[in-house]
Amino acid sequence: MRLGFIGFGAMGRPMAEHLLRAGHELLVWSRRPVSAEFLLAQGATWCDSPAAVAGASEVVCTNVTGSADVEALAGELAQGFSIGSIHLDFSTIAPGAARRIAAAYARRGVDFVDAPVSGGSGGAQAATLSIMWGGKSTLATRLQPLFEVLGKTIVRIGEVGAGQVAKACNQMVMVAAIEACAEAARLAEAAGVDFAKVRTAMLGGSAGSRVLDVFGGRMAARDFKAGVEARLHHKDYALLMDEATRIGAALPASAAVWQQLNALMAQGWGRDDTSSLLRVLEAGTELDPAQ
Amino acid sequence: MNVGFIGLGLMGRPMALHLEKAGHALHLWARRPESLAPFAAVNAKTHATPAQVAAHAEVVIVMVADAPDVENVCLGKDGLAAGGKPGLIVVDMSTINPNAARTIGQRLAEKGIEFVDAPVSGGETGAINAALTVMVGGTPAAFEKVTPLLEKMGKSVTLIGDSGAGQVAKACNQILTGVGVLAVAEAFNFAAKSGVDPAKVREALLGGFAYSKILENHGQRMLDRNFKPGFKAWMHQKDLRIVMEEAHRLGLMLPSAAATAQVFNAIVGSGMGENDSISALMLLEKMSSPE
Repeated sequence: MRLGFIGFGAMGRPMAEHLLRAGHELLVWSRRPVSAEFLLAQGATWCDSPAAVAGASEVVCTNVTGSADVEALAGELAQGFSIGSIHLDFSTIAPGAARRIAAAYARRGVDFVDAPVSGGSGGAQAATLSIMWGGKSTLATRLQPLFEVLGKTIVRIGEVGAGQVAKACNQMVMVAAIEACAEAARLAEAAGVDFAKVRTAMLGGSAGSRVLDVFGGRMAARDFKAGVEARLHHKDYALLMDEATRIGAALPASAAVWQQLNALMAQGWGRDDTSSLLRVLEAGTELDPAQ
Repeated sequence: MNVGFIGLGLMGRPMALHLEKAGHALHLWARRPESLAPFAAVNAKTHATPAQVAAHAEVVIVMVADAPDVENVCLGKDGLAAGGKPGLIVVDMSTINPNAARTIGQRLAEKGIEFVDAPVSGGETGAINAALTVMVGGTPAAFEKVTPLLEKMGKSVTLIGDSGAGQVAKACNQILTGVGVLAVAEAFNFAAKSGVDPAKVREALLGGFAYSKILENHGQRMLDRNFKPGFKAWMHQKDLRIVMEEAHRLGLMLPSAAATAQVFNAIVGSGMGENDSISALMLLEKMSSPE
């Protein structure tokens, strides 16, 4: 298939490479051309604008940062798309933004699919991502072969925007679990108990989880270098809490976790791993009452 | 003085009428023409666009719902910026995000128009009785010029600081009132569910350190089960959204406000958004009783 690809960050790079190696023809553009060079060396074709990518592709994949980036990019891609093309966006954005973009494309006969992923850069490299997508069910036959190149768990959640709702749920459950691990680690260490042992015991029981394994492991090792940059989780919370306000849903635990993330950002740990939530709890106990 | 007024809703209408009564010539524009009806018999001229209002006034007062509305009135097509002469002062009395206020102020400054943020507390009753509390952000010179106008609408008018400072003060006000209303509702629900008369509890507490105007006034309305607005729950939800957006942007931990905002989400989500914000009590009652 002739595929466009835009957005070569930690996730986009390995994803684009997998698609190329699976035998697809890849057309690329980047604000910083140097970031696409590794793909040109493997046979991808450079285009001079997003519109040029759209004009030459059946499906254009994008993987950028925020709602505003995707909306701006969609505006440029729309200039090049022909009727029946698909914009397949892997970014994490607001569900409302996804619906807005889809509505604008619909007037031109172009389909928009929101397909945020979970699994991090490790999952992107190993092609084991979890892909949750929203869009017309009739697009499944065209998209499924692409998804299977990139991920292991592929679920169509519902209409456009539904993928982003699923991603918001994913982030809530995951980061709340990281906070729970951090609080367990804090309790253990404050009680003079080795959290590494606590974690090992818990992993075999009902509290065992992927988060306890991975993020709990980083906490036990006090390795706070990024796996997942905490600022990205912080960004996701702005989206999901805004959505909760818009629809009138109470998310009390998420609201509390959000505040811990705010404190993490204030400490300047936004580019460290989200396991730094443990350090937020420690910082709060180091206040000197004499000052 | 020639005074423009845009935003003639529940709050804006009585506020504008106070200015007219004080002898000022009003210049009006309204999105919905029926809002202009109460001004047919007074010294007020109606204009086709905000730009025309700006062209005829020394000071324009804006009292609309949220930041996008303020931005539209000020900077949109035929907005105040399109008609205002250098030296015009725009006083925004809406409650909006402080950062949005600063941005709008900067863009108006490019046209030589001065922007003052002057959100109010006191609700519709305060507007009708000209008893509002006005919190002002702007330059001392602009403050001096608009104070005589603000004093016709409010009882307490305070310059808090530079542009945006009024909105910061209003956000602080909403933290205290939001958390305060919820605290009184929790205390009353706690008393009632413990088999104790909340009215007696209130009476006793009014004499101690837990005294507050909210315990006195909102508490009485809770006892009377008078849930008519006052201040609508959805507006408090909106104001807490502003607070939490700023907390996110600045990296601030606001655990109580975050929890309170979730309760307001639940109030609005359960269809009580048009009631007074003391409906928090009804929500707690519902949550703590079997269906």
